[in-house]
Amino acid sequence: MFQGPVAPANQIHDFHPPIADSGLYWVVPVPAGGLDVSGDGKTWTLQMKDVPIVDQPHWPALDAVATPARMSFKMAWKSTGEPAIYVDAAKQFRFTGTRASCQMEAQVEVPSIGFSWKSDPLDTSHADIAVMGEEVNGRYFS
Amino acid sequence: MCTRRRMLSSTARAAAAILLAPAIAESKPQAFQETQPTTANGGTGPYPIPWLDKNGSHNQPAGPNLEPSHIYHFKGRVARCSTFTGMGTDNRGNRIAFGAPTTDYGVMDGEYWAARSAQHGTFTHI
Repeated sequence: MFQGPVAPANQIHDFHPPIADSGLYWVVPVPAGGLDVSGDGKTWTLQMKDVPIVDQPHWPALDAVATPARMSFKMAWKSTGEPAIYVDAAKQFRFTGTRASCQMEAQVEVPSIGFSWKSDPLDTSHADIAVMGEEVNGRYFS
Repeated sequence: MCTRRRMLSSTARAAAAILLAPAIAESKPQAFQETQPTTANGGTGPYPIPWLDKNGSHNQPAGPNLEPSHIYHFKGRVARCSTFTGMGTDNRGNRIAFGAPTTDYGVMDGEYWAARSAQHGTFTHI
């Protein structure tokens, strides 16, 4: 989040889960039922409530202090139908899918500093880049 | 030089070692007996993508021809997005924008390999 124009000097909050001991980066498990895929497979909706995260306003500085926070959100991908295929044999991955739109609404709380924030409705947000599909990588790549 | 004090001190340590030795000898087998047999195959949590980003993290940027998944040894559904922008309001009524060129999210749903066997789960990168 930025106060004013998007620039590192104007960053006032940065919300994400902690990096796992394994190095897995800002990834958390989704509870059963959190991901809904439409019958035709063209719309995926991800919803989670009160996800434990941290607020690191000075991210990516190594000494960026992390304050406990929580986040609830709803995110929706919708396929445009335009194919998107990414293959990199050297990095052992193959993605086969389509381009998509993606929108999100969210709210965050940082209880220790009395801060909370709620986004405008889902359809007011925008992502320049979005894809959805199937991927194989690592030992499943052939 | 071996003084009387040093001699007494070393004698006391030797006596203590003799007295404690049976207890130590007995405690080891007992500790092993109390430990339940288990496997040693590693954790069932997913592995990160091995490659590092410019910050030295296992974070995959989102974009054309870039790997959408954050989980390695994975097969399944993946959705990814980046360069997110939107607006919101804080609890003091301030209008605050969210998103930047690096603001990205993702979801991975399927099978992954960990603990030397196939695991299943849904994960999100937020």
